[in-house]
Amino acid sequence: MASAAAPYPSGHAAVAARYDAVDEVYRETRDIRLVGFVLFLLSDCILFSAFIFAYVYLRNSAPAWPPFVDGRQLPWFDTSFAAFNSIVLFGSGVTMHFALENWKHLDKATFYRWLIATIVLGLGFLLGQAHEWTGVLHDGVTWPGSAMGASFFTLTGLHGFHVFVGVCYLTILGIQASRGVYTGSKYFGLTAGTLYWHFVDVVWVGLFFLFYIW
Amino acid sequence: MHPGTTTHDTHEVHGHIHPPPEGFVRKYVFSLDHKVIGFQYFITGMLIMLIAGSFALIMRLQLIDPQGALMSHNAYNEMFTLHGTAMVWMVLIPLVTGALGNFAMPLQIGARDVAFPWLNMASFWILPVAALILFSSMLFGGPHAGWTEYPPISLADGTAGALWCVAIFVVGISSTMTGMNFMVTVIKMRAPGMTWTRMPLFTWATFATALMNMVATVALSSATGALFLEHVFNVPFFDATRGGSAVLFEHMFWFYSHPAVYIFVIPAFGVISEVLPTFSRKPIFGYKMIAFSSMAIALLSFTVWAHHMFPSGLAPWLQLPFMILTYAIGIPTGIKMFSWLATLWGGRIHFTSAMLYALGFLITFTFGGITGIFLASVPVDLHEHGTYFVVGHFHYVVAGGAVMGFLAAIPYWYPKATGRMMSERLGQLGFWLFFIGLNGTFFPMHWLGLEGMPRRYASYVEFAKTNPDAVFWNRFETVFAFFMAASIGLLIFNAIWSLKHGKLAGINPWGARTLEWTISSPPPYYNFKKIPEVYGPPYDFGHPMPYRNTDNEIEPYPEYGKVVMPVPAAAGA
Repeated sequence: MASAAAPYPSGHAAVAARYDAVDEVYRETRDIRLVGFVLFLLSDCILFSAFIFAYVYLRNSAPAWPPFVDGRQLPWFDTSFAAFNSIVLFGSGVTMHFALENWKHLDKATFYRWLIATIVLGLGFLLGQAHEWTGVLHDGVTWPGSAMGASFFTLTGLHGFHVFVGVCYLTILGIQASRGVYTGSKYFGLTAGTLYWHFVDVVWVGLFFLFYIW
Repeated sequence: MHPGTTTHDTHEVHGHIHPPPEGFVRKYVFSLDHKVIGFQYFITGMLIMLIAGSFALIMRLQLIDPQGALMSHNAYNEMFTLHGTAMVWMVLIPLVTGALGNFAMPLQIGARDVAFPWLNMASFWILPVAALILFSSMLFGGPHAGWTEYPPISLADGTAGALWCVAIFVVGISSTMTGMNFMVTVIKMRAPGMTWTRMPLFTWATFATALMNMVATVALSSATGALFLEHVFNVPFFDATRGGSAVLFEHMFWFYSHPAVYIFVIPAFGVISEVLPTFSRKPIFGYKMIAFSSMAIALLSFTVWAHHMFPSGLAPWLQLPFMILTYAIGIPTGIKMFSWLATLWGGRIHFTSAMLYALGFLITFTFGGITGIFLASVPVDLHEHGTYFVVGHFHYVVAGGAVMGFLAAIPYWYPKATGRMMSERLGQLGFWLFFIGLNGTFFPMHWLGLEGMPRRYASYVEFAKTNPDAVFWNRFETVFAFFMAASIGLLIFNAIWSLKHGKLAGINPWGARTLEWTISSPPPYYNFKKIPEVYGPPYDFGHPMPYRNTDNEIEPYPEYGKVVMPVPAAAGA
């Protein structure tokens, strides 16, 4: 791609050079926002941890798991579909990584392709979750019905809400990018969106283990 | 145009300078200035303190008579629930982190504002909304289960209980955002040369507090969120008959609420660490130990929550480590206490009202800390749990620790904030009223508790039959509670009166040495004409101030456009 006439050389050294080639104010602002965003993700992590603690606590203090409701033991969650849906979500993490990398390497067209792929996969995951919830409800596990349902719907609901927010977030980032808000050296918004999306992925690793493997 | 080809256009730089605020709304209502936001927190917190404090006085009046002199048991339950809830979340935490932290911390590190001014404004405006929601619950019968709102009882509160959950959830979000904001500010916005070990100790304390605020408050939001779901959608997190667990709520609640007591006492520690060396004219003893103790307390505070739950059927193998860890948290606290005493030793002590509050703090907080060690011990706690001993201990730590520290900060920073001194005569009278009132109100609670007087009872007829002295001591406490109320009234009068009639303060009336005392009082909206450079530790009395590039009176204030402010916008690249 890179020709001698290209204004920037390609490759990681060039990416790093562009990253540093910003004015002092932008550099400081970017640092401040990065620390702030990481701290925000940390506090979000505590939110999930608290509800995960609640689930582990309730499960360990229950006489039987899955619990009995009206004399009937509730069924386990179905692992196979959730595994498929997890692959969809993790796949969206990969596509988001490629999107950001392409932006850093100044390939705007490819960036949009990967970003749209990410948004589509995110929406696909949400559809899958809707399907999953229908199945679980059909099995008789309800939100107000049992501790198992309470934990499951609260945690996956919180996570699904985060995915939904993430899809909106990435869409807004795409629109901003098309309007020229970001440049090859000033793209903190895209970095933050990517961090958020990876965070939502990582949370799902924990939830998948807790509800479908454990 | 290809995204990379834009050169660093200069309009971005100018886009980051925010103009001086104009108009009443921008200046005083939706202000982005951390100092104005600090005042807003101060005024709001004091107003809520008047409400929650009057609830306390009403409770004390009820207990004049063993039958209960004033009101029904239900109304009494409502009073102590709202007193505790409002005092903890809407008075103390906003006052010590929101008001003091906002005002002093950016000045102390040589910053022009906090890292996210807009977020700071949003954090503040959540507070009055949360307070309105909390007090509106009184229209629905009010919450009754105490400030902890433990589930089996609180689930009977209906709409009022749900409103309680919403109020605490919302104010928790405000705390979390403030914590995040302050952490980033301290990490990223210190003046050049201000290394971590040259930071003033109040800034250290604010940093440790911000860490706890950010990490722990989300756990509280989760607990109140889950309780809200149980109230409204009947989701069985805490209802034991449907597979939930009431003890789970205690875990989630205390994981926040134990750090919460450090959230409001560590900023007070920070104030004491500023006031004592200033008025002893002596470097603080053990600067690093005090700073690291703040961090040690912050970290340890996450490991002690279950000492509130010894009677809940906690497994013995869990009781022991929680007991030992709770003892362990006394070590950094003790380090601080001895360092403060050593700071006084050989100093030239000036008994200003700020210093009197700080010295009073050393006495009352130590006393509350020692009874805390009693309560950390499992057998003693099983005996004293739910008695007035706990109420006495808690109020010695909170009123004698956090509030005393806060009251020391008011006369200390008032000259910097307003440009005028507070009346010393009124301030010292206020101190003695508060100190005597505090000890008179809470000291007898210890032996009433040891005799077995249960807390949260609207009448104590049966207890008074076996312990006839209880009537006398309860009346005694009620009288002294009004001393404290008078002291707060005097403080408010003093603050308002001194705005007009106080002596002009000048730049540095106390001869203190941290950065906020190098700029004019009150500071301009951008704080520092030039960002100063720091080359030494903050408390070396007797040496020249360790700052270069500070403001001086000859140089004119820079024009708008020459000062680079932090970015106020929430979005953008």
